[in-house]
Amino acid sequence: MSLDAFIADLDALVADATSKFAAAADAAALEAARVEFLGAKSGKLKDAQKGLGAVGKDDKPAAGKKFNEVKQAIEAAFAAAQDRSTSGEGVAATGPAFDPSQPGTRHRLGHLHPLTQTIEELKDIMGRLGFTVAHGPEIEDERHNFEALNIPKAHPARDPLENFYLAVAGKVHGASVQGSGLNANPEPRTPNPELLLRSQTSTVQIRVMEAQQPPVRIISLGRVYRPDDADATHYPMFHQIEGLLIDKHVTMADLKSTLRLFAGSYFGGEVHIRFRPSFFPFTEPSVEVDMQWNDRWIEMGGAGMVDPNVLRAVGYDPEQVSGFAFGLGVERVCARRHQVTDIREFYRNDVRFLEQF
Amino acid sequence: MLISYEWLKSLVPLGVNVEEFALRMMMAGFNHESTAAVGDDFCVDLEITSNRPDCLGHIGLAREAAVVFGSQLKLPAAAPKSGAAKVGDITKLRVDCPELCPRYVARVIRGVKVGPSPAWLVRRLTTIGQPTVNNVVDITNYVLMETGQPLHAFDLAKLHGRQIVVREAKPGEKFDAINHKTYTLDAGMCVIADADRPVAVGGVMGGVDSEVSQATTELLIESAAFDPLSIRTTSRKLGLRSDSSYRFERGVDIENADWVSRRCCELILEVCGGELAEGALDVAASRSPREAVTLRSSQIKRIVGIEVPMPEVRRILGSLGLKENAVADDRITVNPPSWRRDLEREIDLIEEVARIHGYDKIPEDVGVPMARSARTDEDRVLAKVRQVLTACGFDEALTISVVDEGLSQSFSPWTDAAPLALQMPILERADKLRRSLVPSLLKARRENEAVGNRTIELFETAKVYLPQTGELPQEDLMLGLTSGGGDGAFYRVKGVLEALLAALAPAARFEVRDLTKKHDLLAIGRACELALDGEVVGVLGEVGAAALKKFELREPAIVAELKLAALLKAAVLVPRYAPTPAYPAMERDINLVVDEKVRWSDLAATVRACGGALVESFDLKGQPYRDEKRIGPGKKSLVVTLTLRSSERTLTNTEADDLRTRVVEECAKRHGATLRA
Repeated sequence: MSLDAFIADLDALVADATSKFAAAADAAALEAARVEFLGAKSGKLKDAQKGLGAVGKDDKPAAGKKFNEVKQAIEAAFAAAQDRSTSGEGVAATGPAFDPSQPGTRHRLGHLHPLTQTIEELKDIMGRLGFTVAHGPEIEDERHNFEALNIPKAHPARDPLENFYLAVAGKVHGASVQGSGLNANPEPRTPNPELLLRSQTSTVQIRVMEAQQPPVRIISLGRVYRPDDADATHYPMFHQIEGLLIDKHVTMADLKSTLRLFAGSYFGGEVHIRFRPSFFPFTEPSVEVDMQWNDRWIEMGGAGMVDPNVLRAVGYDPEQVSGFAFGLGVERVCARRHQVTDIREFYRNDVRFLEQF
Repeated sequence: MLISYEWLKSLVPLGVNVEEFALRMMMAGFNHESTAAVGDDFCVDLEITSNRPDCLGHIGLAREAAVVFGSQLKLPAAAPKSGAAKVGDITKLRVDCPELCPRYVARVIRGVKVGPSPAWLVRRLTTIGQPTVNNVVDITNYVLMETGQPLHAFDLAKLHGRQIVVREAKPGEKFDAINHKTYTLDAGMCVIADADRPVAVGGVMGGVDSEVSQATTELLIESAAFDPLSIRTTSRKLGLRSDSSYRFERGVDIENADWVSRRCCELILEVCGGELAEGALDVAASRSPREAVTLRSSQIKRIVGIEVPMPEVRRILGSLGLKENAVADDRITVNPPSWRRDLEREIDLIEEVARIHGYDKIPEDVGVPMARSARTDEDRVLAKVRQVLTACGFDEALTISVVDEGLSQSFSPWTDAAPLALQMPILERADKLRRSLVPSLLKARRENEAVGNRTIELFETAKVYLPQTGELPQEDLMLGLTSGGGDGAFYRVKGVLEALLAALAPAARFEVRDLTKKHDLLAIGRACELALDGEVVGVLGEVGAAALKKFELREPAIVAELKLAALLKAAVLVPRYAPTPAYPAMERDINLVVDEKVRWSDLAATVRACGGALVESFDLKGQPYRDEKRIGPGKKSLVVTLTLRSSERTLTNTEADDLRTRVVEECAKRHGATLRA
């Protein structure tokens, strides 16, 4: 066999194999084509290899080289056809078609309440400024909610109508019908009848200071309760976050600087802080805090230097230590940030509301 | 406090426009609420904090403005001319209750002509929204708004016995007020009476019989001070709040009562004519002199953070009306004026100096020292709880801590004690501190159903309030959740809780127990208690049909509640490394057929006991299979997948098969289990 004839046969084989592989409509057809050309026993390539023996001795190296090229070409054509087959490409239109545009199998994620997200972010910022979270009870006694905070008995803030006092044991109506057990229900005993739902989280500051010597650097936060009628800007339960720093040499400049870092961290960018004189029983001097953001003054909350009477009430010496405290309403911060126009939305728990955050 | 800007400027010359005035006053502590143009004048609303009752009149604010703008306060003379008749010959005054009424000043004017007020008076009162009645009443209101000291004018001819007796009310005593309503009085209330009956409730409201009318010619002008607490209680009990009671509640300048009385008489003589009787009846309880206050200049820097030079300190305190008592290089001792009851301590003076000097001078960029701050374990655990639950598709709810009687009674897994109650409801009928989060979540569920929301998966982390004998009630932090019911829902929610446990406390033993207490809320036989390391820490179950109806829920629901304190205790916040297994695991499935009464927990105990250390884990594959024809009635088939592994070598097939056979035999022996072909 001449070299030219051998090469021509091989070229024809490549063309034939490539078109048969490409035409295979499914995996079975492709397998049949594979056996036809690449079959180990009687494939056409195997037959062609036999022709190699018939080539003249001098032409052998060139014929061998050509054979190897053809073998690789046919194998490559098969591999390509196989890839197309497994990826679905080129499969006949009548079979199931892979549709990547179909919607994904979506996993439903839950959503954290926007108030929680706000609290966590504020806590996180204060944490970076060196303030540690402290917790305290929501049901408080008068000492922690008032007396230690320099709010004496005659102060209007202590009016029963301005607070949610607990009913005294025995006056609890409906107590006798409660429960389903066999035992008669014991009346709740309230040894100190002067208990109330805390009206501010400053109570936590008192508890921390009672238990710890300065320096104190905490934030307290949580639910507080005041008898406001529910409307777009009021709710009888809301959340406060309060910071307290007590140490030697703490001044209003530290307060202003801390609040500037805090506000700048939350809102981003450069902010300025403005103090307006105000009045709170537990701080003196007392101020309302505004921050300048986007060329507007925005009210942040109340602040001041811890009143010497408060320091004395927890056993600190106001000649030795001083400190500042500040507080803000979480609902207001959160509503402003997310443009929530009615704070009652926060407590409706409508899934369509919660899903937005 | 509403002020007329024109009126104010008549008391203190100000070279600024009303915007500048409002801004500067705001920066001095009088929050600017609004400004409204009224004719040629402006009505400016400034907020007066409760420590500054001295500013509840134009003079008080003018005094502050004088300090802020460096101007001079111009006070009226308050020097009415009196006639020959002596007041003591015309009327009598007795104060029986000096604790309720520490000062009472009475003056008498006779021969007045009651009529409409002159234009200037009407204009000023109208600017600040005060109605006009007649010249006498208008003047008492005018002087109230000018000085902050309330006044009352009686028709002297209507006072029985032509006298005033200030006394405590008799319990049940009746009083006909100027608003034509009759009030029943109580002990502790201060009444202004004549010889026979109350003619005013002191500081709160005048009486209808003695009010000034067109026919009145003789006036008794009252300028008094009343006990703030008593005024507050009285006005609250009677439901009467007035400009007068508002000021008495906050405290008036007791020393100024006579000056105000003279000022009022001066204006009445000018506007209504008549003749003032000579002198005043003035009964005052003895008052101890107020102590001088010392301010050390070092303390200004220590609290405010900036130095204020001593001359500036003296200027500020002097302009605020404090009298210098002693001055040294480093300290100043002053006597506060009578109208500033709020200035008693050094810190009060520091605030005054800083406020007037200007808080804008305090820097906002000092280096606050750094300090360590650690996240609390509670915060770490709560973060994990929120992470797992939101990943599992639950939305976080926030529900109010106080619930109504119906919600309160619907579920109380932690206590049989009656709930703590408030003295008044927080919202609608809600007055019980909740003992479980579950009822609130079911209420939220109903409200979501009502607006057509289909997927309602809610959780909340909040406190429940459990009455206890001791100091304060016990407040336990709970995780409550609710999910939609239906096929497999119970196991889905249980799986969420298991995932939570696996995330927080993988080594803790988490198991279910039969309910030890009946809960009306839960479906019978389809609820359980949850135990962690042998301690009951939660409850999980389907909501029963009756409860669904009670909550008006259309769709089935699952609820659970878990004590977070228990999770906190068991939580492993810093996991410790264990070497990963060096040898491969082998799996063996066993398809066991058992009676319905045999529980997974029974089989699990047996597998654990007989499998020993080689059983790395085992699980239920799929759900139990039931088919009366194929496996018989009252039977279920469970596929248990065993994962076997040795820490020392690769297990052989024979070892694995032997272990499987032992487990099958043991399950047959203990639970009558048969192997399903």
